[in-house]
Amino acid sequence: MNMLRRALLSGAAAALMGLGGTAWAAAAFDLAQLTQLLASKRSGEATFVEKREVSVLDRTLMTSGRLSFEAPDTFVRENLKPQRERVAVVGNMVTMSRGDRSRTVALDSVPEASVIIEAIRGTLTGNRESLQKLFETGVSGSAERWSLELVPRDARLRAQVATVRVSGRQAEVREMQVVMPDGDRSTMTIEPVAAKSAGPAAAGSGAAR
Amino acid sequence: MARALVVWLLALLAAAFVTVRSNYVADLSAFLPSAPSAEQAVLLDQLRSGVAARLVLIGIEGGTPAARSAASLEWARTLRKSGLFESINNGDNSQYEALGAFLFEHRYLLSPAVDAQRFSADGLRSAIDETVSLLGSPAGAMIKPVLLRDPTGETVRMAEAMLPARAPRTEGGVWVARNADRAVLLATTRADGSDLDGQQHALEQLRSTFAPYAAQGLKLIVSGAGTFAVASRAQIKHEVERLAIAGSAAIVLLMWLAFGSLRALAIAVLPVGTGVLAGIAVVSLSFGQVHGITLGFGTTLIGEAVDYAIYYLIQAHAPSTASSQRGTGSRRWIARNWPTVRLGLWTSLCGFVALVFSGFPGLAQLGVFSVAGLIAAALTTRYVLPVLAPDGAPGLGLRRQLGAFTGRAAALAPRLRWPLWLLALAALVLLLWLPSPWRGDLASLSPIGADALKLDAQLRSDVGATEAGTLIALSAADEASVLALAEQAGARLDRLVAEGVLEGYDTPVRLLPSPATQATRRAALPDAAELRGRVAQAAVDGPIKAERLAPFIADVQAARSQPTLTRASLQGTPLATAVDAMLVAGRDSKPWRVLLSLQAGERGIDAERLRVALAGVPGAQVVQIGTELGALYSRYLREAMWQAGLGALAVCILLGVYLRSWRRLLGVAQPIAAAVLIVLAALALHGAALGILHLVGFLLVVAIGSNYALFFDQLRHGVGRDSVAGDGSSDSDTLASLALANLTIVISFALLAISSIPALYAIGQVVAPGTLLSLVLSAAFVRGPARGAV
Repeated sequence: MNMLRRALLSGAAAALMGLGGTAWAAAAFDLAQLTQLLASKRSGEATFVEKREVSVLDRTLMTSGRLSFEAPDTFVRENLKPQRERVAVVGNMVTMSRGDRSRTVALDSVPEASVIIEAIRGTLTGNRESLQKLFETGVSGSAERWSLELVPRDARLRAQVATVRVSGRQAEVREMQVVMPDGDRSTMTIEPVAAKSAGPAAAGSGAAR
Repeated sequence: MARALVVWLLALLAAAFVTVRSNYVADLSAFLPSAPSAEQAVLLDQLRSGVAARLVLIGIEGGTPAARSAASLEWARTLRKSGLFESINNGDNSQYEALGAFLFEHRYLLSPAVDAQRFSADGLRSAIDETVSLLGSPAGAMIKPVLLRDPTGETVRMAEAMLPARAPRTEGGVWVARNADRAVLLATTRADGSDLDGQQHALEQLRSTFAPYAAQGLKLIVSGAGTFAVASRAQIKHEVERLAIAGSAAIVLLMWLAFGSLRALAIAVLPVGTGVLAGIAVVSLSFGQVHGITLGFGTTLIGEAVDYAIYYLIQAHAPSTASSQRGTGSRRWIARNWPTVRLGLWTSLCGFVALVFSGFPGLAQLGVFSVAGLIAAALTTRYVLPVLAPDGAPGLGLRRQLGAFTGRAAALAPRLRWPLWLLALAALVLLLWLPSPWRGDLASLSPIGADALKLDAQLRSDVGATEAGTLIALSAADEASVLALAEQAGARLDRLVAEGVLEGYDTPVRLLPSPATQATRRAALPDAAELRGRVAQAAVDGPIKAERLAPFIADVQAARSQPTLTRASLQGTPLATAVDAMLVAGRDSKPWRVLLSLQAGERGIDAERLRVALAGVPGAQVVQIGTELGALYSRYLREAMWQAGLGALAVCILLGVYLRSWRRLLGVAQPIAAAVLIVLAALALHGAALGILHLVGFLLVVAIGSNYALFFDQLRHGVGRDSVAGDGSSDSDTLASLALANLTIVISFALLAISSIPALYAIGQVVAPGTLLSLVLSAAFVRGPARGAV
């Protein structure tokens, strides 16, 4: 919770600083450096806890599960609680499974879904091109502790998702917050699973550069 | 004599009247059988009026992405208002509001998740959990406004079932191509695929309403079955006109050289014109429509019909003895040459009459056209020409030289007998050795170029409208049973989808479940009091308090008395069109039919596996369109071969009866058979894929070639020589007429051979060399009486 509060505060701070803050950050640590740092990690696994605040519901929703990714374009999110559910993205195909039902759709045919998926997949794999194509980006902080704000370029999509804020340390994504235009939001706290040997080493070399 | 003229004029007028009012078509369905098997019946329905035949694939290129998407949105709204299209899909979902409202209102009858378990306290709890798990994400935006009416997420379940796996890429609110700078749209015309005028009207509407966007620098590209058919028709029309002009010009020049008289020229055209008009009129009266290919073929009838006129004009030319009366020439021609021409006509008719009985309307049309056209041309020559030109063509032109040259060549030709024999023999050996060249397919009748097909394939993959390669057809006596069958088949297909054998399939029961299923779902809905109790239980500690769910209880209550949906009750709703694409209403003796189209997985469709999976679903048919079409065409070709064979046999019998001599029959048949063999071998060697129209071409070669052979037979046996004319000049006239007739045919068919329309190209490729060879071979092979010298 401590971390969450910090994340929320840093998010609020970033929002307050607005463009000025972004410009200042760009001078020190920019998207190119950040994505290069993130791209150095080719694959990873993590657990997550997601907290969602939705105005129509009488209480916040908590979800937990696992995340994994593998460059260049595979990303899997698996909910373990309260219900098992799996979303696997490979290239342009998204497969959603729940119980004995499973649906596969083309990601680019559902732009609303691609906003969320590209925000996290693009960040995890350090895909600068994809991020810049879909979002106005703003980076703040340093390699040690960075924050990336993503605002959809397409007005239609901004009506679905107001902002996505991702923050982390070095090559590891630690938190992702999605804010809807109506104020509903979800905050996902990410805890890397005891890293494979390549992880920290790669992150270290990225930082050294 | 004058009576003949009056009859002819009246007949011509009537034929012209019918011709003008005829309905001209160009789709390939005329070349499909009229008495199909059950699988073929499904296929034919689909080709003629199925949704696939009504699809128009549209691309907008050029300009900026923003300009393209703005144009797509605005233009699609204009098109929807035009009333010519059942639907215009471009990724703009705002048009589905009415459909969405209808589906939402009937969600408890339509959602596949509704059953008794779902409305138990446990079922409700897990359904609500599942629904709220989507909230707080972009997917939740859709359900948030209706959450309290639909907490179990039936809307989501319906959407899931209807979401296509291969949806187009969406950008800027519209569909765009994945690998090109292009916005794409998918239109469905109201007009049937076989209604070419309707298709053309819709296409014109597309082009004219696009003009403002074209002015902005955007480019419209259009494809689809209807587009192809309309383009083919236009192309065939254009080519036929072009060929007719070029052919006429060439023939006019030839005639001018031959007769040196415009009047002779005008007369020479009469049998041809009469033949073509009569052919069109008779086809139109007996089939109700005239196919473009038949029409294209009509121009080729010039070949044989112009011969009649040439034979008459040259052969009836009265020798220049001042004493002879007017009309001597024509009387002499009728006595001496008409029997030969008549025999030639009979042999030609034998060849074509076989086609009349074909089970394929297109082929039967060709037969009827040729028979009617040839008879009309011959009758015109026999009865009208003697009135208009009692003594043949007056002028001489270069005919004397032509006659002399042909005479010398004909005298030399028999020396070539052995080399030509060897050539024919070599051709026979080659044909036995090479693989059969008879492997043309239905697509080879279509004039659509490779570029257009490539563009079509690109647009199809852009919009995710994969070519409907395989269909599953189900039929039953009434709507309720056929929908129940579709549900049965669907359950089995679901298993294949889960196993990854299939990617997906379209079925009408997602939009219109069978009455039995709807009744079961309705029966699963508890009454208000009962539901209130269960909701209270389910909501304990849940994300939505029970008292907020009153709208849900009210909606379920209303659904309990909703009437069962049927195709009739959908009339006027946005669902009707979508259902009609997959559910074909029965009429009279025709059963109700459901067509499930399949989306293949990566490995394609395994038809055997499908058949196994569907075993036990009564009457389920797996229809593979490509295979069926291939089978159809082979049957078509086989049937036509048989008919041609029978026709050839009839020709032989006829000639035998007339000539009353095995030796003469052999003499007449040899050059024709050899000509056919040599052309066939040359085409096979060249690697050509021969089809139905090549076969028709060979029939024409036999028909025309038999005339040549008969004339040579007549010449070399001195049949009908009279004492009025010196033998020499008369023979020279006959030879000149043969050479001239052959020249006109070779020229008009050589023009066809360079046409871009495969059907015409095929005929020209066979007939031009075939007739030339027939003449040369006749000169070489046909012998005089046994004692020898010619």
